[in-house]
Amino acid sequence: MQQTILEIKNLSKSYGDITALANFSLNLGKGEVLGLLGPNGAGKTTLISILSSTLLDFTGTVAFKGQDLFSDRRLKNLIGIVPQEMAFYEDLGALENLMFWGGLYDIPEKELKKRALELLAVVELSARAKEPIKKFSGGMKRRLNIAIGLVHQPELLLLDEPTVGIDVQAKVNILDIIRNVGQQGTSVIFTTHQLSEVEQICSRIAIMDKGVILAEGTLAKLIRIVGEKEIVDVSGEFTADSFSEIIKLADGDGIEILSIADNQALLAFANSDRIPAMMQHLFKHHLHISDLKIKSPNLEAVFLKMTGRSLRD
Amino acid sequence: MSRTTLIIKNDIKRRLKAPMATVLFLVIPMAMTALIGMIFNPGSGNETKLPAIKLLLVDKDKGLASKFLIGAFDQKEIKDMFQMTLVDEAEGEKLMKKGKASAMLIIPEHFSDDLAEQKTSTLEVVKNPAEEFLPGVAEEFANTMAVGLSAIAQVFADELKIIRSASKLDLEAISIAELTPFLEMARIKIIALKSYLSPLLLQLKTSTTAKPGKAVKPAGFNIFAYIMPGMLIMFLLFIIEAFMREIQSERGDGKIRRMMFSPLTTRELIAARLFSGWLMGVLICSLAMAMGTLLFRIDWGNPLLVFILVMVSCFWCAAFFGMLNAFFKNKNQAGAFSSPIILVFAAFGGSMLPLEQIPPGMRWLSKFTVNNWFITGSQQIMD
Repeated sequence: MQQTILEIKNLSKSYGDITALANFSLNLGKGEVLGLLGPNGAGKTTLISILSSTLLDFTGTVAFKGQDLFSDRRLKNLIGIVPQEMAFYEDLGALENLMFWGGLYDIPEKELKKRALELLAVVELSARAKEPIKKFSGGMKRRLNIAIGLVHQPELLLLDEPTVGIDVQAKVNILDIIRNVGQQGTSVIFTTHQLSEVEQICSRIAIMDKGVILAEGTLAKLIRIVGEKEIVDVSGEFTADSFSEIIKLADGDGIEILSIADNQALLAFANSDRIPAMMQHLFKHHLHISDLKIKSPNLEAVFLKMTGRSLRD
Repeated sequence: MSRTTLIIKNDIKRRLKAPMATVLFLVIPMAMTALIGMIFNPGSGNETKLPAIKLLLVDKDKGLASKFLIGAFDQKEIKDMFQMTLVDEAEGEKLMKKGKASAMLIIPEHFSDDLAEQKTSTLEVVKNPAEEFLPGVAEEFANTMAVGLSAIAQVFADELKIIRSASKLDLEAISIAELTPFLEMARIKIIALKSYLSPLLLQLKTSTTAKPGKAVKPAGFNIFAYIMPGMLIMFLLFIIEAFMREIQSERGDGKIRRMMFSPLTTRELIAARLFSGWLMGVLICSLAMAMGTLLFRIDWGNPLLVFILVMVSCFWCAAFFGMLNAFFKNKNQAGAFSSPIILVFAAFGGSMLPLEQIPPGMRWLSKFTVNNWFITGSQQIMD
């Protein structure tokens, strides 16, 4: 059985009338890479802020390796954070930054330097180790941001949307780094808006909204929530209300509306044979359909089913 | 290396990597001091008060005339010009060798008697060779006194004889009737005292000390020394404020959050930030003062006292702006509030106007500004 490294129990946090976390509970095993998915305002950043001790006014408990995370400051030596922001000094070089940020942890200087040089090689920045970071590209900066989070060899790494604003190639590099970190035994909590990223690297996925976890498990387990259905993505010129009304007029048995918005709807069909009849019904009601895609059940469908809104909402 | 030291080291390293802003803050007060100094310096025709000339006076006579001469230095106008110290000759020579005075005036023995008997007497002026013109002023003054006393001695020769003999008599034995003819004669002489007097009874002998002494510190004479402390503290406030405002940037871009996630404590972070701001202030201030000495010949006074003043002032600035930044929400807000605060400090604290020229009703406000403390402190140390 996988050893539990992080145990979050009944975590609650409100900002006035707005509930960010409501009795949020989650366990994380050693070496597990957990993808935390949720639309804006779901409570992901609040969770990361509490875990990183920058938000202290909350209720509930967080145990790290069986110990209260906030009782012993030395436990922080075992946790790394990669914030969404490029949190480093751009006027310094990559090596200088790694030495500074690593120096805040209890690591002997000699060992720290060795580790910093190794990490620069991992994130492919060795050749530009001494160059001021302000000259780096967005992807290079993101890689360095991750390296800083790893410089003290943490057992748990918190990544808050580490691939925001970078190109595809840089994204692939970063996902590779995170995958390798997990394979080396470091547990990872990874928040993102990109479903494909989670599908690629996470061993477990949690979908959260309004401060609670709606569903969690492996990708296969989550897809079973939608079931063995065909997913149909419909685009055209219609309103959400008119589309709903027309669907209701049809024989709706075995058809599930996963999400609906103006000009876009996602439907799940228990039997794919019913798809042509439904389309005819839509045309009969003069609904202008411009595009129709039939997909296998995927994480997006699960997400839409669980939250009722897309990740970008 | 402790975490606090690491942060301080990092801050200093970053400043050294991009020194332009700091250099600019260093150059501006120097340039302003130079500009204002050049506008108001003595060569530009504006009136500048000379410092008091340190004069040693040796009275070997201890008679009536020497007392009269010494008494002259007690007159308000003369007192403003000369800082006279009565010494014996040996002590005076010793002080002159050490360069503790601009000149020494020696009143010879029997000076009063010689004047009364219309004999020639010589006042001796010993000048400090290390100084350019202050001993010359003392010499000129002694010369004027010699001319004046010679005139009085010649015109009132008879009266002086009577005064001299009267001083040896019982005053009650002298009747007004006996004195009346002499008083009348004196009155006529005073009215007629416009004629040329020759030869002078008093002569002036001038010499300089063999060993050049140190130049006597011309306290307050250097106009730059008046201007620069005010400029320096104003720009020190700007420098330290800009430094402390970086806390806002670090908060905005997640660096503080990242730092606080490490085992670093809040106390260590605050201590590091305060110390960094303080250290930067002390370094820049010391550098500016050294430049002030080189460029404007400012003598800042006792180095230890100056260093203490700089350290205390910089710590106050760092602590003050550290505290302010705890209330500000972001960098823009900090910038918008801090600059007017610094300008108010500068206006009321004496950086823009001399403290004496601030309206009395508002002068009490200056007591609450670091500018006032720094300017007053540095001037007291320089004096």
